[in-house]
Amino acid sequence: MPTRVAIDVGGTFTDLCALNEDTGEFVFVKDLTTPSNFAIGVLGVLKKSGIKGEEIDRFIGTGSTMVINSLTERKGAKVLLVTTKGFRDVLEIQRSNRTDLYNFRYQKPIPFVPRRYRIEVEERIDYSGNILKPLNKEDVLKAIEFCKRERFESVAIAFFNSYANPAHEIECYNLFKKALPNMPITLSHELTREWREYERTNTAVMNAFVQPKVQQYIETLEKGLRDFGVKTPLHIMQSNGGVSTFEQALRAPIYQVESGPIGGVIGSATIGKALGLKNIITLDVGGTTAKTSLIFDGKLRINTDYSIGKTQFFPGYPVKVPVVDIVEIGNGGGSIAWIDEVGSLRVGPVSAGADPGPACYNRGGDKPTLTDAFVITGVLNPDYFLGGEIKLNKELAYRAYSSLSEIMGKSVEEVALGAIRLATANMINAVKLISVRRGFDPRDFTLIAFGGAGPMFATAIAKDLLIKKVIVPRVPGVFSAWGMLMTDVKHDYVQTKVMRLNLDSLKELYNIINEMKEMAMKQLESEYINKNDMYFEAYFDIRYLGQEHTVSTEVPIKNPDRKVLKIIENRFHRLHYKQYTFKLNDPLEVVNVRLSAYGKVRKPQISTFKPKEKSFGVNYRKVILEDGMYNAKVLRRDEIQYDETILGPAIIEEPTATTVVRNNELAYIDKFGNLIIEVK
Amino acid sequence: MIDDFTLDIIENSLIAAAEESFISFGRTSKSPVIYEVLDYAAGITDYKGRLVAQANGVPGFLGTLDLAVQECIKKIGEDRIYPNDIYIINVPYTSGTHLNDVTLVMPIFVEKTLVGFSSIKGHWSEVGGMHFGSWTSDSTEIYQEGLIFPGIKLFERGKPNKALIELIKANVRTPDMTMGDMEAHAAALRVASRRVVELCKKYGVNAILDSIERLMSKGEKLIRLKLKELPHGTFYAEDMIDDDGISDNPIDVKAKIEISDDKFVVDLTESGDQAKGSINSPLCATISAARTIFKAITDPHGPANDGNFRVMDVKARPGSIFNPLPPAPTSTYWESMAFVTDLVWKALAPYIPDKLSAGHFLSVCATIVGGIDDRNKLPFAIVEPQPGGWGGALGKDGESALVCSGDGETYIMSNEVIEVRYPIIVDQYTLNINDGCGKGEYRGGFGIVKDYRINNSNAIFTASFGRSKYPCWGMDSGSNGTPNYFIIYQKGKEPLKARKVAAFPLSKGDLIRIVTGGGGGYGNPYKRDPERVLSDVIDGYISKEQALKDYGVVITNDLKVDYEQTKKIREKLLNGI
Repeated sequence: MPTRVAIDVGGTFTDLCALNEDTGEFVFVKDLTTPSNFAIGVLGVLKKSGIKGEEIDRFIGTGSTMVINSLTERKGAKVLLVTTKGFRDVLEIQRSNRTDLYNFRYQKPIPFVPRRYRIEVEERIDYSGNILKPLNKEDVLKAIEFCKRERFESVAIAFFNSYANPAHEIECYNLFKKALPNMPITLSHELTREWREYERTNTAVMNAFVQPKVQQYIETLEKGLRDFGVKTPLHIMQSNGGVSTFEQALRAPIYQVESGPIGGVIGSATIGKALGLKNIITLDVGGTTAKTSLIFDGKLRINTDYSIGKTQFFPGYPVKVPVVDIVEIGNGGGSIAWIDEVGSLRVGPVSAGADPGPACYNRGGDKPTLTDAFVITGVLNPDYFLGGEIKLNKELAYRAYSSLSEIMGKSVEEVALGAIRLATANMINAVKLISVRRGFDPRDFTLIAFGGAGPMFATAIAKDLLIKKVIVPRVPGVFSAWGMLMTDVKHDYVQTKVMRLNLDSLKELYNIINEMKEMAMKQLESEYINKNDMYFEAYFDIRYLGQEHTVSTEVPIKNPDRKVLKIIENRFHRLHYKQYTFKLNDPLEVVNVRLSAYGKVRKPQISTFKPKEKSFGVNYRKVILEDGMYNAKVLRRDEIQYDETILGPAIIEEPTATTVVRNNELAYIDKFGNLIIEVK
Repeated sequence: MIDDFTLDIIENSLIAAAEESFISFGRTSKSPVIYEVLDYAAGITDYKGRLVAQANGVPGFLGTLDLAVQECIKKIGEDRIYPNDIYIINVPYTSGTHLNDVTLVMPIFVEKTLVGFSSIKGHWSEVGGMHFGSWTSDSTEIYQEGLIFPGIKLFERGKPNKALIELIKANVRTPDMTMGDMEAHAAALRVASRRVVELCKKYGVNAILDSIERLMSKGEKLIRLKLKELPHGTFYAEDMIDDDGISDNPIDVKAKIEISDDKFVVDLTESGDQAKGSINSPLCATISAARTIFKAITDPHGPANDGNFRVMDVKARPGSIFNPLPPAPTSTYWESMAFVTDLVWKALAPYIPDKLSAGHFLSVCATIVGGIDDRNKLPFAIVEPQPGGWGGALGKDGESALVCSGDGETYIMSNEVIEVRYPIIVDQYTLNINDGCGKGEYRGGFGIVKDYRINNSNAIFTASFGRSKYPCWGMDSGSNGTPNYFIIYQKGKEPLKARKVAAFPLSKGDLIRIVTGGGGGYGNPYKRDPERVLSDVIDGYISKEQALKDYGVVITNDLKVDYEQTKKIREKLLNGI
């Protein structure tokens, strides 16, 4: 009975989703996360599921929470940075921008390696890879001595222009490895071959910083899983929308940094494929945040300009790793409503979290949250939260909103509805960021909503953006873990190569693609991927000569001839026009060559769903929605039959989520059990 | 009747529209001053030209967009404003800064109703004039600084004014680049306009107009609340600008600030006369600089609109450095404009130490290295601001290597990118530890040292560095910061140390060393926490000798604080003052 298991470690819960590959049946288990040692929670939930180790033919885990925690709490390794003479302060100078324009007490990001731990060695390579000054071995030996004396736990080597020629980084690595064979060492060029010294150095430093911690977690987990009887390859989610082996994850833990929310996006793409939908916007609303991502033509979109902790007023720490493009805002079920200085109502980003949680949880929280607002407006059923595990207290929700109600001179219901509408508007803006701002019209997309709170907001958002169809997948509360089961192995490669795009340069650019492809095939082979299951996508980052920013353009992987050149040029012009509404007649310039290499994993058949017999039936309750008060139908999700069509207003309840079907909207289930709502 | 929540939602959407248009311009521009320095701003005004929402990359354009729109309405005439028009304006004296900063303005119509204007002001890389890149430090008349666009139609009803476009192409050195800037500029303008029209269609024109009024009155209400929290009374500050741009004579600048419950007045009338050189700050830039500091001390994080500045009054004498008359040159206007912000800052810092630090290196320290690239025979020009040290503040040391108050979300170019794009080798890019920073209980931050080695048969260098003679101020017994300057090293010649230069000829192997100053110190250095002094020694920011001499802290050979000795020495030093 081969079983595929995915375990998603979140801030509050550790979710397991397992698939029996023979029967196509799913198992879902939820348990509390164990922050002191995440591996314990992972193994715990595995035991709780009743699955036997030897049944597991594929295991997929996450390490994102670990990486993020280590970075945000600044608890990580003591890192030595070895860098080119004359560039010791790059990490501190950064790009010198003042993101918080009017704050004259602004604080720049504090480097993860202080000046005392940054050491220079003599060496110099020029922009085309020529060696101007050889690596000074004396300097390296001094650095090694310093490393020993000061008992560093991790080393980052980042040299100027190493993206063009990594020879000196490798030479330096060999000297270190010889002297300190057990020291974790990060080389900047191994993480990215993109130009920009600050960004690449910082990427290396952050990787080195989290490495020992992640190593400990992965090794503990691996041992635990082996002891549990798991014999098959172990995988871990990466931020680029693929998985890699534990082994690879040990070398480049920073690749996991934003992998947390990606399962849901992949799950959405999988559902889309099963239903023949290529254009999807995802909406994932949990306790503290709402996340949205966009799938176009069946493909996830990748952001190569990512910074950890970036906000409107803080530049964050750039990490040059490909990350699935996700917009996240601080509005979730636990977000607190408040009144600003000039008397306007606002929501979030402060959240009541899981502890004490919303007021209605009756665990000591007294702040008005969105969950409380949904209780007040009748959307949430106080007696069926988590299937009745937690009884919500409606009176406490009212009490939490009473002070806002007094200040604003409006009824509690009006203020609660106002808070929901504001949060909805914030989410609409987030969806616009991921769609309209990137040149996509939401009307061409289907909205897939999940997370505990996503299905309560989905139809209102869809209506505003003229999206015609909303899908709520099965078990929306643990959908992210479900998506992880469907994830392919993926590795990304990049090389900066600045060239005018023409027939001559095309050959050279395609040589780079071919070299990358060879490297990728070796890597995939080492992960037991068959040649037949490998596939590749190549991209050029292109711009009009003179521009700074580029547009990532997919290029065909075939013989680079005049025809291919024409295809690439046309694609770029089209994409530029789509995104920025104009095109130019100017020459094109390539900046980066990128390759994504995939190892396909066998996709299980999504099993058809058998509805339960009606026992709850249909109830009615008073619900306040944006456009008025209704006596809405209330149904249980798993009792909806195939031939049943529900005319809104209706509330559809299930243990991990509640779906709002608005007035005149139609809802029904498909053969896989997805809830489909036609938005009017 | 539209409810409050809907009005909130409309307001956010208006701000988002300005932001979207801002991003679009940055992503598509061909001018490094736009895409790296972010020297531009995008905004939406109401039909009278009052600011509704603005997105900025630098603070300096706060309040130049609305004045430019108002000037366009006046020049074009209300009855000649048509849908899909675009106006072009860059006159410094009425509504501008320098000629490179071109503002495009587009009316937004919903059917036949004019609901507002979308406008973007951005630095065009070339607008003609006496030197490549147009702005220069050696001009004495505005006519040497490029083309003047007096508020005329670039597009009428969507049709380009071909004669004007031909004229522009014929008068600039890089017509392709300038036209590229224009395309991107106009496209971004249309983005904002389209979003506002969509909003009007969704909620109705009246709802939008109501929302705009409410947005501005809320802005005013908030600022009035904040004004009450500021210290009230009359405050003074004075300073000196290094020179007038041509001679070595400094210029006196003075500010009197009056704060009451309902007024914030910045009076600059006592400041010196307009300069012969290009450092004059046009009135509009002067107002912007005053608005910048006002925003910093009242509501640094809220969105900006017309309502925020209704309580403000800026007085500058016509014919003075802060309100020059034609044909005064203004192409390095930021050199004196920065002093408007700095004077108010200096006057108020002692009273609001939780908001303001000691003085910072202040100058944009703008540099241009240009020429014809040997590799491809094409012209190149790297135009950059340089980062420097900021002042120490109550409870915190100054930041090192940060762009000046006039710059903002401005990215200093990556050196690896520089080496690909320009025939330059960067020999070093480090903190300016040598010259140090202002000492204090909380010390200033450090400036930078950057070495550009010319790897081309020829090049020219233009630069304008302020605060070179008179470094920035320390406060509350903290010492002053250190100066900004550059040194040119050429084979067989004495190194040339200077603060301003125009089109200086260079050849292969020559080296330009760019040096920026450290920020002023805050508080008495002898009160600095000895552990912080120790930490600075270990990090190599100061030497052990400096720890003793500047801070009265004794550091032992095994890098520990000798508290006993330190106490003795500090007592002596503190009593000696």
